[in-house]
Formats: sequence, structure tokens, C-alpha cells
Amino acid sequence: MLVVIAVAVLAAVIVIVVVAAALAAKSRSATPSVGKSKGVSELSTVGVGSSPFERRTQAKAARDGEVTVTSSETGAASKKPSDELGGRFAALGAAALVIFGALSAKLWSMQILGNTEYAEAAEENLYTTVKTPAPRGCIYDAYGEPLVVNRPSQTVIADPEVADNRDVVRRLSTVLGVPANVVLQRINDASAGAQSLRVVGEDVRLRDVAFIAEHADAFPGVTVEERSLRTYPHGALAAHVLGYTGAPSEELLERKNEGREILAIDTVGSAGVEATYDAYLSGEHGVSQVMVDASGRRISVMSDIKDSKGNDLYLTLDAKAQYVADTALAETIAPNGGVIGTGKGSKGAVVALDVTDGSVAVMASFPTFDPTSFTGAISDELFQKYQQEEAYAPLNNNAVSGQFMAASTFKAFTSLAGLEYGFADEKSSWTCTGEWDGFGSGDIQRCWRRDGHGTLNLRDGIVVSCDTVFYEIGKAFYDHGPNGTGEISETALQDYLRQFGFGAKTGIDLGGEAVGVIPTPAWKAELFRNRPAEASFRGGDYTNMIIGQGDVLVTPLQIACGYAGVATGRIMQPHLLKEVRNGEGEVVVSFEPVVERTPEVTEKHLAYVREALHGMVQESAGVAQLFAEQGLDAAGKSGTGEKQNENDTAWFVAYAPFKEPKYVCACVVEQAGGGSDVAAPIVAKVLGALMDSVEGSSQVEIGRVAGSPGDSIPIAVNDAGRED
Amino acid sequence: MTAMWAFDYRRFANLTIALLIINVVLILLPHIPGLGTDAGMGAKSWIKLGIQVQPGEFAKVTVVLFAASLVARYQGTLDDWGEYCKVLGMLLIPFAAIMTQPDLGTGLVYLAIAAVVLIMGGAKARFLVITLVAAVIAVAAVFAVDEMLKYQLEDGTWEYRLLKNYQRSRLLVFLDPEGDLSGDGYNLAQAKIAIGSGGLFGKGLLNATQSTHGFLPEAPTDFIFCVLAEEFGFVGVMTLIALYAAMIVLCLAIARRADNLFGMLVVMGIIGMWLFQILENIGMDCGLMPITGIPLPFVSYGSSFMVVNFALIGLIGSVYSHTPTQSSFASTPSHGRKAS
Repeated sequence: MLVVIAVAVLAAVIVIVVVAAALAAKSRSATPSVGKSKGVSELSTVGVGSSPFERRTQAKAARDGEVTVTSSETGAASKKPSDELGGRFAALGAAALVIFGALSAKLWSMQILGNTEYAEAAEENLYTTVKTPAPRGCIYDAYGEPLVVNRPSQTVIADPEVADNRDVVRRLSTVLGVPANVVLQRINDASAGAQSLRVVGEDVRLRDVAFIAEHADAFPGVTVEERSLRTYPHGALAAHVLGYTGAPSEELLERKNEGREILAIDTVGSAGVEATYDAYLSGEHGVSQVMVDASGRRISVMSDIKDSKGNDLYLTLDAKAQYVADTALAETIAPNGGVIGTGKGSKGAVVALDVTDGSVAVMASFPTFDPTSFTGAISDELFQKYQQEEAYAPLNNNAVSGQFMAASTFKAFTSLAGLEYGFADEKSSWTCTGEWDGFGSGDIQRCWRRDGHGTLNLRDGIVVSCDTVFYEIGKAFYDHGPNGTGEISETALQDYLRQFGFGAKTGIDLGGEAVGVIPTPAWKAELFRNRPAEASFRGGDYTNMIIGQGDVLVTPLQIACGYAGVATGRIMQPHLLKEVRNGEGEVVVSFEPVVERTPEVTEKHLAYVREALHGMVQESAGVAQLFAEQGLDAAGKSGTGEKQNENDTAWFVAYAPFKEPKYVCACVVEQAGGGSDVAAPIVAKVLGALMDSVEGSSQVEIGRVAGSPGDSIPIAVNDAGRED
Repeated sequence: MTAMWAFDYRRFANLTIALLIINVVLILLPHIPGLGTDAGMGAKSWIKLGIQVQPGEFAKVTVVLFAASLVARYQGTLDDWGEYCKVLGMLLIPFAAIMTQPDLGTGLVYLAIAAVVLIMGGAKARFLVITLVAAVIAVAAVFAVDEMLKYQLEDGTWEYRLLKNYQRSRLLVFLDPEGDLSGDGYNLAQAKIAIGSGGLFGKGLLNATQSTHGFLPEAPTDFIFCVLAEEFGFVGVMTLIALYAAMIVLCLAIARRADNLFGMLVVMGIIGMWLFQILENIGMDCGLMPITGIPLPFVSYGSSFMVVNFALIGLIGSVYSHTPTQSSFASTPSHGRKAS
């Protein structure tokens, strides 16, 4: 084509030069030879003279009497046809001038004045930005144990045009073992940019990769790249904390301008800290400027900025204690192949916090999942299974999102309420007969110990968890409320409990936090709005609430935070992030402890309750031994939530060391039985492991935690009654 | 070209009717089944004779000769309304013939030739103005009738009977270049980018990204000017325009000196044709004119048109070389004949 252009330009030049030269030569030769008539005579014989056209013209002219060639005698000019049309010649010449002038002006405005703009447009045509995903940052525990790392994954990548080559698509389909239409669909996915390379296969076997590399001729436009995929060295360990990653949702892609740029090629955190700290974990896209032609083919790569890996997260978790908690839960609930119903209970959670700064040291939830299932494409079958009721929601983080009856673990807070309001003091004593009808309504409420505890004070009431003692305190709240003396508000107890964080989110750096329920008259009125007869808030509501039964719902994290408050007098905001480190290992972000709330509580009353909790652990036969085995001087409380036609909800919460509290640990297992039996051993083990880590004497070898299979068998109901 | 140069152009002068027949035959050739091929735009303007040729391009030569001979034949009578109309009618025959292909671009070239020849042939100014007004009304009428006759296809798009959809869209694009950036609007936008990005000195040979990377459609033919503009910049295109201007000036000089009306009209017709093609081709690239498939004289790729242009140069050369020099005008044949 260029040759054609060159020839054409040359031809035009030559033509003009020839014409001009000929003209010049003619006029030069004409000047001296005035009167030379050789050419003329030739002309007259050959040409016009014999032309009928001339004859006709002349005849016509003669007819009109116009043909009189004047001034022939001068020899200077003859009549030329153009003479009469001088005006029109001028007009045509002017038209030509205008045409050339207009074109020149337009070209001037485009090429000189508008050059920058047009040059930019040409650049825009020519260059396209292509982005490649960056590896996400890794996640470690507080001691540097890797929890989530990346592993190389052989990725088969294709140019968009490969879609037009049926042979290559067919070959890719054969090699990757993916149907041809799926291959085609992946190649046609332009979500990462029109010129982006398309991922055809992830985590491809090395020999398939080698086959493609060796037969490059048969796979034009296909390349193999090593990209990174998430891998979890300990399987399901702390799975609910870590969360998982996935392809970005449509919704996320549409919110592109907010914060970081998210492309469809990216993986984003979909749950857990992967989601909370997605912005830290996601790296910077690799950006290459690519020169393309009109059909989008890559011609050359102009610039290439390598992608940069995301920042690493260091969590507050203690992986060893976490492993203890995860395995303890699994062994308790589903010792046989992870099938729920083969042990005690259906689901459970363990939370341990550092009471001094709110750091979450352990957060376990059962049933659980292995996040490895979510790398690449999650097995659809497993995902469907997890949605079934009998799987007990393995993806749900029971520690944060699970709401359980608080049961007797609540008594620490309600006794503080009673002490603060003066409804009980160290001198108060009550007599427990096993049955209580304080309101005289005939509606008998029972202590868990059917034969009664006899006469006892508040401390002993806490230690043995005597319900009657707390019924009396609950009644006092009712009696002093609007339905009694009216000294206190009808929500005085609830408001006090809220100071410990109940009925509100703790503010942990995880999504999906539940708030629980602290029943109030307004709440009950709303709940029974269609049955006004049952909507009134009665004395029984206080006596139920004060022992943590009835409608009270809490999350394990709330209980842990509340007990941290009892242990230290203030509640720190729980958090999982310890620090963020960049690629050079420098700490970029470091978590600063935040005091979440400071309950109004007299130090004397706190000390009283702490001593009672200490006594509970020390004096309860089975429990004392559990903690002694771990070498722990702990304070704590059991809880056993009663439900109709179901096994009890087992609770245990404790903090240690008693004198200088460091960790608090709460454990709940639903449908498992008594708290001291089921939950206390787990709490003791976890607290022991945590203290061992602090002392550097931990012997725990972190193994691989298995994800739940999503299976269960019916749970046998044990009707033996509560044994708090 | 050389053959044309040596050939005495005046031999064509009295072949008016023969030239008209040749014209019409040439133009209608592609309609012969098996001979015509589709250029891809829905217009049958090519014939296959071993190589593909466009008879409509060759007809440009004969149209020039025909128009010149016709008007020369009626010299001096064009101030008579009847005679004028007769000439006008005959001049429109080649246009009518080419519109059966249909090839509006080439047809417009024929009209440009006819117009210039008519103007320079001494037609009365009033008639010319009336013709122009009539033409404008006719074009408007075509659109109006087209609008009335349009019918909807099954897929909901409108089909017009007179103007092809592509012609309509080109006109619309000219009026609203940003309206459609995928089809003709895209072509125009890319053409403008190619020209504008050339700058003062251009990107240099082979560095024209717009054309070498395929953004510019039809780069070697209709949009050749954009390639030049992109590669050689403003300096380059001004050189080309200067060359064109020089050529036109020289041709005008030759026409001015021609000793007979036929010769002058031949040259003027050619000038008209070139001017129109230059204006239209460069104009459409810059967005000054609607897009048509009119090639740029001496530059566009296409053997038919190149041959035609050199034939025309030859024709001009013939007029030139068969014009007596200044000094010999005294003894021009007309002078001699007067004496006889």
C-alpha cells in the first residue's frame, strides 16, 4: 500500500512537472519564431479545417453575423472561445481557489490547531490498559504461624481471539477436560477489559501445562502463567475467622469507584477477616499498556507494571489454642467422622479474649468448613449440603452470629445488678426449697436442684448457681418497679445488663454479628402484638431473665466480653487484627486497643462476685479438677439452658489467672447437656493452652482440622433434667 | 497518456452521439448478468474481465468528451430556453445511466463535469440559476417522496425505496457526526483522528498508526488522503494541495488558450471533475463533505481510475499540443477560412 502511495505521489509530481516543462518549452520556442507556419499548415490540413464541428460553428457564427475575426492584421491575437467567458473563467478560478483555501484552512485547524486532541484520540485507539490480578496478602496468627498462604497455580490463559479458532478451543477442551462451550464462555468473558487475557483453566495439572507449552504451535494465543491461589495449611482451623474468598459479586463490581478497584478477575474476601480486611489483603493490579490494532489484537506491550502482593495480616489468634478449641469442639460434638449426633450436642462455639486489650485469642465454631473448598470453584454439591437443615449451618460463625440462651452464665451480671441496686449484699440470705412462688400466683418456679439448696447467701448462690436466690433478686427488681413501689424504672435490670454489652454488637472486626435479646416490656409488647393478653411484662419475666433463661439470648462473644468486664472492670472492644505488614515486613497498621464500655459497678461488688466465681471453679468437684489439671487458678461460671424436648445448652465461661486476669474463655454447645460436664473441659483446655503459649511452654502440635461433612444423625434427648 | 497526447482531440468533436452511446453502454455493462460484480456496497459498478474494472470510471473520459462536444455543437444557442433544455437533458443521460447501478458518487462527478461544461459553454446565467434551483428542489423532492414511500421491514427497521440506506446514513452522519460512532460515524471519526494526529510533519512513513493498525477503513482507496495526512502531516498535504493547484492552474491556462470551444470545454470539464473529486474526497475526510466513494485523483489506489486520470492528462496534452502558439494565431485555420 505504501508503495502505491509513493508511486501515486511521484506520478502526480511527474505529470505536473512534465506539463509545466512542456508549456515552458513551447512558449520559449514560440517567441522567436513569429510567423513560422510549419505547424500551422500541418494543423490546418490535419485538423480543424476538415472538422465538421468547425464548419458547423462557423456556419452558425456566420448566420449570427458574428464571425469576424478582427485584428488579424496585428497577428497578436485571434478570437479564442475563452475570450467571451473571461468572467466565468475568473469565477471558476475563484471557485478552485476557494476549494483549495477551504481545504487548507480545515487541514490547518485539524492538524495544527487540533493536533493535540486528535493525537490523544489516536493514542487512545492504539493503547489499551490490561490489568492482571495481584496475589492477596497472607494471614498469620499472633505468633507468626501461617493460617492462609498462597500457592502457585498453573493457569492457562488465552487471547480473546482464540474464541474464533474452533480448533484451539477444541484442543483446550480436550486437554483441560472442560466442555468446549465452557472454554468458549471463559474466553469470551471480557469482564476484565476488552483486551484482557482470559483465564481458561486454573490449577491445571503440570503435565497438561507441559503439553500446551510443548505444542505451542497447536495453541496459538494460549499461554500458561503461574498465578496464586489461596491455601490453608491447617484446613478448617479458625475457618470462620479467616473466612474465604470468591469472585466479586455484581454489586461489588458496580461500586468500582469506592476505595480500591475491583475487577472481575480478582478474588475478594467473601467472609471473615478476608472480607473485613479485603482492602489490606488485595494487592495492586499489574498494569500493562498494550498496543493493539483495530480488531483488538495485541501488537506489543509498551509498559508493564508488575502486580504487587497485598499486605499480610497478623491476627491476634493463638493458632495452638485455636487448634485445641477446634479439635475439642469437634471431638465433643462429632467425634465420629464429623457427623453431628455421634457426640454431645449439635453445634457450638468457643471464644477466648485477652481481657487486657480485647484481642481475640481463640474463636472456634462448629460445625465448620474447610476454606480450601472455596478456592477455585466451590464444590456445588458440598455447598448445597451445607444449606440443609441437618448440616447445622457450617458456614455460620456461632461465636459471633449464633444466639444462645444465656442460662446461668448470666448470674454474674444479674448478681452485680442486685448488689448495685441494693437488693442483695454480703449479709443477705435466702432459703431455697427447690420450689419458688414468690409472686403468690401459684405459678411455681423451680430451682435446678429439686430438693433445694437450703439457706444460703449470694456468694454461695453463685457458686452452686441456686436459682431461688436469683428469683428473689428478680422479684426485688419487679417489686421496686412501676408495678410495685415505683422506685426504679421497669427496665432498670435490662439497662444495667446492657452496660456489659448485652443486646448490642460488640464491634468486633467481623461481619454478621448478632445482638441477642434482652427482654423489655416494649420488646415483649412488639413480640406479642397480635396476642395482647400475653404481651404484658410480668414478674416472671424478671425472674426468668435474672437466671438467663426464658427469652434472653446472647452470643458467645458477648458472654466472653461481659466476663472480661467482670474480670477487669472494663470491656475492651474485641478485635482480631493485630497488625498489617507490607511486603518488606514493616508494620503498616497496628491495632490500638479501644475501651468499648466501662460498666458502672462498685469495686467492692465486683470483688464479691469475682470471689464467688473463683469459688465456683474451685469448689465444684468436677470443674475444679479440670482447671487444676491445666495448672490454672481460674474464676468462672457454668450455665445450662433449658429447652423443651431438647437437650440443654451447655455453657461455661472462665477467666484466668484469677489474681491477674489475662484471658477469658467462653464455650457453648447446644443440645449437649450440663455446662460443667460438656463446656467446662473445653474452656479449661483452651485457657490452659493459651497460658502455655504466653509462658512459651506450649506442647501443642497444630494439625489439620477437617471441615464438617455436613451430615448428622438425630440427637438423642436426655431427659435427666438440669444439673447446673 | 502519450497516445492521448499525440492524438488529435478534435477528432472526438463530432462524435457526440457515438460518445453518448459508448457512455451508456459502458455504464450499463455491469448489468449484464455474469459480468457485473458487487463492490460490496450493494452497487453493481464493477465488471469482471480477468481483472475487475469499473466501467463507470472509464466513462468519465467519454462523459467529458461527450459533454464538451455536445455543448460545443450547440455553441451560441444556449441562450435559447428550448435548446438549453435539450442540451441539459442529454447531459443528464450518463448520470441517469450510472444511477441504475446505483453509484451516486460517480454520478455526482458526471454532474460536476456537465455543470462546468455548461457554464463554460456559454449558457445563459439565468438558465443556470434556474437549473440550480430546480436541482435543489429535485433533491428535496427525492427525500420527501422517499419519506412517503418508506415501509417497515419485519424486523422493525425502515426500508426506503429511492435512496439506499447507506447513502441515507452517510448523509445523516455528515449532519450529525457524533450520532453513530460504530458505522459510518466511526469511519469519519477515525479519518479525522488520522488527519488531525498527523500534525505539522506527520508521523513518518510506516508510522501511521491509524492506517497500519486498521483503525482507518478503506485506507488505500477512499481514505487514502488520511494516510498521507497522518504520515506526512500538514506539510505533506499542503504539498499535495499545491501540486493540485498547480495542475489546475496549468489546465486553466491551457483551456484559456484553446482555440476552439470543444478543446476548451474538454479541459474545463476535466478541471471540473478533478476539482470536484478533490473537494469531495479531502472534504469528506475532514468532515466538510458527506462520505461518498469518490477517489482522490492520482492518489487513490485503483487501476481504473488511475488509467482514466492519465488518459485525461493525455487529453489535456492533446488540447495543448494542438493549440497554435501565440504567434501562429494570425494564420489559424479560421482566419484562413474567412479569407476563402
